[in-house]
Parts: sequence; structure tokens; C-alpha cells
Amino acid sequence: MFGGIVSPDQIVTGVVAVVGVPLALLGYIVLGEKVIERLPASLQRWIRPYFWALPAVGFATVFMVYPMARTVLISFRNRGDSDWASGAWGIFANYHYFFTFPDTLTALRNSLLWLVFYTFFSVFLGLVIAILLDRVRYESLAKIAIFLPVPISATAASIIWKFMFDYQAPGTPQTGTLNALLGAIGRQPIPWLVDETTNNPALIFVGIWTITGFCMVIISASLKAISTEVLEAARMDGANEFQIVRLIVTPLLWPTITVVGTTMIINALKTFDIVYVMTNGAYNTDVIATRMFSQLESAQYGRAAAVGVVLFIAIVPLLLVNIRRFQQQEEQR
Amino acid sequence: MAEVLSRLSSRAIALGLGTLLLAAACSSGGSNGNNGSSGASSTDVTVWTAWGGAELKAFRDVLAPFEKDTGIKVHVTTNRDSTNQIANGIAAGTDLPDIAPGPTDPTQVKDWVSKGAVKPIETALGSSFSEYMSNTYSALTTAPGGAQDDPYIGVIGGKHYEMMVKTQVKGLIWYNKKVFTGQAPKTLDELLAINPKQYNAQSLFCAGFESGAASGWPASDQIDNIIMRQSGDQVYTSWIQGKTKFTDPAIKLGYQTFLKTVANNVVYGGSNTALSTNFGKAGDPMFKQPTGCLFLEQATFITSFFQQDFPSLNLKAGTDFDFFAHPSVNSQYDGNVNGFYDNFAMYNDTPAARKLMTYMATKDAQQIWANDGGTLAARKDINYTDPVFKNAAGIAGSAKNLLVTAGDFMPSDMQKAFWQSLLNVTRNPGSLNSELAHLDQVQAAAYQSS
Repeated sequence: MFGGIVSPDQIVTGVVAVVGVPLALLGYIVLGEKVIERLPASLQRWIRPYFWALPAVGFATVFMVYPMARTVLISFRNRGDSDWASGAWGIFANYHYFFTFPDTLTALRNSLLWLVFYTFFSVFLGLVIAILLDRVRYESLAKIAIFLPVPISATAASIIWKFMFDYQAPGTPQTGTLNALLGAIGRQPIPWLVDETTNNPALIFVGIWTITGFCMVIISASLKAISTEVLEAARMDGANEFQIVRLIVTPLLWPTITVVGTTMIINALKTFDIVYVMTNGAYNTDVIATRMFSQLESAQYGRAAAVGVVLFIAIVPLLLVNIRRFQQQEEQR
Repeated sequence: MAEVLSRLSSRAIALGLGTLLLAAACSSGGSNGNNGSSGASSTDVTVWTAWGGAELKAFRDVLAPFEKDTGIKVHVTTNRDSTNQIANGIAAGTDLPDIAPGPTDPTQVKDWVSKGAVKPIETALGSSFSEYMSNTYSALTTAPGGAQDDPYIGVIGGKHYEMMVKTQVKGLIWYNKKVFTGQAPKTLDELLAINPKQYNAQSLFCAGFESGAASGWPASDQIDNIIMRQSGDQVYTSWIQGKTKFTDPAIKLGYQTFLKTVANNVVYGGSNTALSTNFGKAGDPMFKQPTGCLFLEQATFITSFFQQDFPSLNLKAGTDFDFFAHPSVNSQYDGNVNGFYDNFAMYNDTPAARKLMTYMATKDAQQIWANDGGTLAARKDINYTDPVFKNAAGIAGSAKNLLVTAGDFMPSDMQKAFWQSLLNVTRNPGSLNSELAHLDQVQAAAYQSS
């Protein structure tokens, strides 16, 4: 059973974890309420929220806060976790590595490329497609076509695009779709993933291809929520369609665009799978997350943690923007 | 909610909870600290291996007679992350498989041995140990010069911790017998001097360095085979250990020699084709019309790719295609051969595990491996029907040193940079000096222990 490596002990532990934890929670609530009910009313009102929130706070602490704190701690430790890190920049040695080593600098540059181009094109195309499709009769059919790459896992999408970018010796039949097209118009094939002028754009393009449908669906939903009366009124006042899109639709969609945009920036910063599957960073295509992974593989936990902390710090402001946006929407309701 | 809950008998719930918590405490206490004992019963053996597909099938064929004769049940799990999981198991004190491959990282080998997590082969094989030693390729069992430590073959303090079962020879030069009819060249210079046009082939070499996330390893095999024959096994080993820099003249010379074999006018389709072609498809132009190239350098396993890619040609080893050994680079170091091997180490010393280890070292067991094809056995006294493996066994048998593949034994950050540097210099040979300087930086950072 289970490949013969799971002992009866482990099965007992598993059952206890699955059945026991919910039961323990239930018990906590039942027994705790028994106690609280006997307290004076004023004290009850004060203590009850904390009592009910405690399990959730506990879980969040164990599974989110603790690992995060530990990551920050490890980023200041040496390789064997036996002492504080030392070297250039003293205790910040792992950060020194991150900010001065040529490989990570290349990765930083590439992540910046991802951040700018991936975010811009996925949101921009999502917006344009959503607005255009809003005005045609075969809207749902076209939307399905655009959305189709979204459920495909990034790994599968990368493998599909590896075939698309395939390169054969010049003068022989090209099996890659793009190079076959180039051949049809009499051009030489391009080694898309090898050539350093085309490989990063090629990878970012795959990212855009997989996510544009997602941006389109979110923006489109928000587009449908714009009251037709507003648009009617604008038309009555003599605004043309281009003016309506520029002066009315886009500003009304702005909150949604911000949320989608920040989500895309986070996506861009944590890009890993597409790069790992298609090039694994060869020919200067590494990004921050693939650097983190290769440090982990080398058992350089301090350096990997430092990468993680930098990535986290980069993402926090975006999370704050998103959270504030949600709060504003809540207040408006 | 509270009212509903309060109707339940709180005493019953408390009782149930207490029992559960007690059970949890007992079970977790039980599963810690039983490091060393097998999770399964004494007539069972658990084995982890990285094999899948045909290799796994061959392993099951090997195990079948053992299970039938002894009544011992062998539980085989394909686990490609076994080294990491065993390392975690050792650190956490949880169950380990009875038998699994040993680690490749030299420091890990020493660490596991010093913790007693891995048991000596001397113990596992008992009285048949000397028989194993005398019949297995000595390059796989004996440290060069009789050293006490050679973690690359699992020898620590004069004891053996890895039992060799299979081996492969790398750096073989494959060719289409109907195209290349000349004599096998004796030296690398002779090989490079062959004019492919004489045999109506477009290029001298084929190459394919693409291999997904592991792209570049086929190129690293090529340079490994050059360096070990050009500058010797000592430089080669010290380079793997991070003690010889990449800018060292010996390693730089290796890169320069490698570049001669992948130059734009030497390799089929130019360097971009070599970089974009998957290693499995690299040899295809040898069998096409017009012939793309004369030679492909690759290990013994490549034959199945030839046969798969041209089912209609019904290619036969020995009649349609063949290989010759890697030509000499510096005659002083002839006899250095690049190979890799599959080993098993014993993590739980149980009677059943000992029996299985002893069985896998026997000629009968390894003959089944050889018969299923695609590999050499670790023993010298095996009969091969396939001419390719018969010849490869000759090379392994006459090897002075069977040396490991460099990248596999470097820290993985170093390995990745090493592989990718070969891709970069193939694409742009002018970047050699800056690539080597960069590799020195990576080496200094990757081998740093503090």
C-alpha cells in the first residue's frame, strides 16, 4: 500500500490529523462557550470575539507568519545555518550576493522586462479585446477562443510553444510553426530561444498568451456593470464611440484595471514555470524565481531566502494597493 | 450555534477529544526514533529507484526469480527525488527505504556514513563480498592508488557503501556503417582531419545539446571526455571538487578543444542547430539522405533513439551503425574512460535486505539486466548478445580509470552555470574568456561552505 513505504504509524497519524483537528476545533468552541456563558455579560461581550478569532489567528501564525519570519531569519544565516552570515556586507552577505552577483543582476533585468512588457500587454490586450468584443454578436464564441489558453497549465503551454519555436538546420523542412512561416516567405529560420535578442521576448509572449484571456474576462465583467444609460446619455450629447471609450468607459473601468494590473505585476515578478520549462535560464533568460530555485537546489538556503525576502518586499506595496482598492469598493457599497 | 452545540454532551466530547489527542501523541512518539527499523514486515523489502519505463521493467525482471525463490516481497517505488527525501528522513529520524541509491554529493556520502544511516556493503554481502569485488569492474569498486576515500564510488574509510549493479560508457563516437567506411582514427587530431565530403556527408559531426531544463549536459559530456584525456584524471577530479579554476590553462584548453568540435563549419547545420536540437534527435542526420554528418558522440544508451526515429530502416547495431572508442588526446592519459553507474546502498540492515543485496550482486541477476538490453552490467563476467554492449564492455574492462561525469558531482548551481557556459561559447566562441571568468566567480560562490 502506498508503494510499501507508509507504515501503520503514519496512517494513524494521518487519520488523527484529518479527523482529530476538526474535532479538536469543535471541542475548543463547545467547551470554551460553556466557560464563557458563565462569565458576567460585559466580560462575555469583550472576550467572545477574541475567543472565536483565536483558532484562525493561530493557523495563520503557524502556517504563514512563522514560515515568513523563518525565511527572513534564514536570509541572515550562513549556509549550514550554524551561525550568522558573514562576508562582504557582514550579516547581509546573502543580500550582497543577490545585489552584486552577475547572474542575479541578469535575472533582475529580465524580471524587470517581464514586469513592464508582460503586465502592459496582458492588461492592454485584455482591455481592448473586452471593449471590442462587447460590440459584436459572436462575443461569447470569441471570448472562449481568447480564454482557452488560461486553463492550460503554464508547463503545458510552454511545451506547446517549444514546438512552435522549434528550429531545424537551415535548408531542411522546418517543424516549428513560426520558422515554417518564415520559410514560406523565403526567410532564414530564427533560433527563437537561443538568440539573445529574441529569447526573452519569446518567453514573455508565452506568458501574455496564457494570461490575456484572464484579464479580458475580469475587465469584461466590470464593463457589463457599466449602466447603458450613462453611455446612452453620452451618445445623446454627441460623443463618438472613441470618445466614449476614452472619456467614460476607461475611467469607470479604472479600479478594475488597477486590480488586474497589480495582480499581473505580482504574476510577472513570480514568473517561474515558463522560464524553467523552456530554457531554465540558459542564454541569459533567468528570472528572480528561477535564481531562487537554483540556489535552493544547491542547498544555499540563505541565498535562496534572501531572494525570497527581496521578492516579498517588492510585492508588498502592490498588495497594499490591492487591499486599499478593495476597501474603497467596500465603502462605496 | 452555541445553543445547538451546548445540547451535545460536553462530557462525551471531552472524552472523545482526550482519546484522540492521546492517540496522536502516542503515534507521533512511535514514528519518531524508530530510525533503522523497517516500516514493513521482515519478509518485505522496500526499494527506491529513479528508474521508469524500460529500465523499471528490466528491474522487475531481475527481481522476479528472487521473489519466487525466497518468498520475500520487494516493494519498488520510482522516486526521482530519493536523495533529498532520504536526507530529510535522516535529519528527521523517520523511516528510510531499506535499499536505495547512494547520494552523489561527496559531502553527503561522508555525512550519511558518519551518522551510520547507510550500512557497509561488506555487511550487506557478508561472505559473498570478495566474490563481488573480484568480479566487478575494479574502476567501480577500488579507489585509484588504493586510497581509503573515494566518495564518487561510495568508498569511505576503506569500506564500501555503494553496490554497483549497472554501468554505461560515455564518449563513444557513433557512425553509420554504410556511410563511414574508413578506419577508426587513433587520435582526436586524426578525427578532426577527416574530410566528410570524402564520404558524401555534409558535416563531420552531429550534435544536439537541447534537453529542456537540463540543456547543455550533452556538451558537458563532450568536454569531460576531452579534459580527462588531455590533462589527466587528477586535474579532472580536482576541477570537479572546485580546486582547479575554470580559467586554469588545462580547463581553458579543454574548452578550446571542445570548440573545435562544435565550430560552425564542423557541426551539422551550424552551431544554432546543435543548440536547438534535442540530444535524442541529434543522430538523425546520419541516417538521412543526403547524409548530414559522419559522427555523433554519445553514451551507450543512444542506440534506442536511432532505432525509434527510423523504424522503417530497421537499424541493427553492428551492421547498420557502430561506434569506436573516444580517440586519444594526450597518449599519457589513454585509459581514462567516462562512465556512469547505477548503485544501491542499504539503509536498513534486515535479513531480507541483505538477501536482496546479495542477489543483485550475483551473475544470474546481472545477466538478466544485460539481457533486457540498454545497459552494461557492473560485473565483468556477463555475456552480451548485442555487439554494441559487447564492445562497450571491452572498453569498460580495459579502462584504467572509469571517471564520473563532472557536472553531476558539482554543486547544482555550478553544474547549471557549467552547462550553460558550454551553450554560450558554442553560440559565441568569442565570449570564451569572459565565460570562464564568470565560471570562476560562480565556482568561488558555489563551493563556499560558510
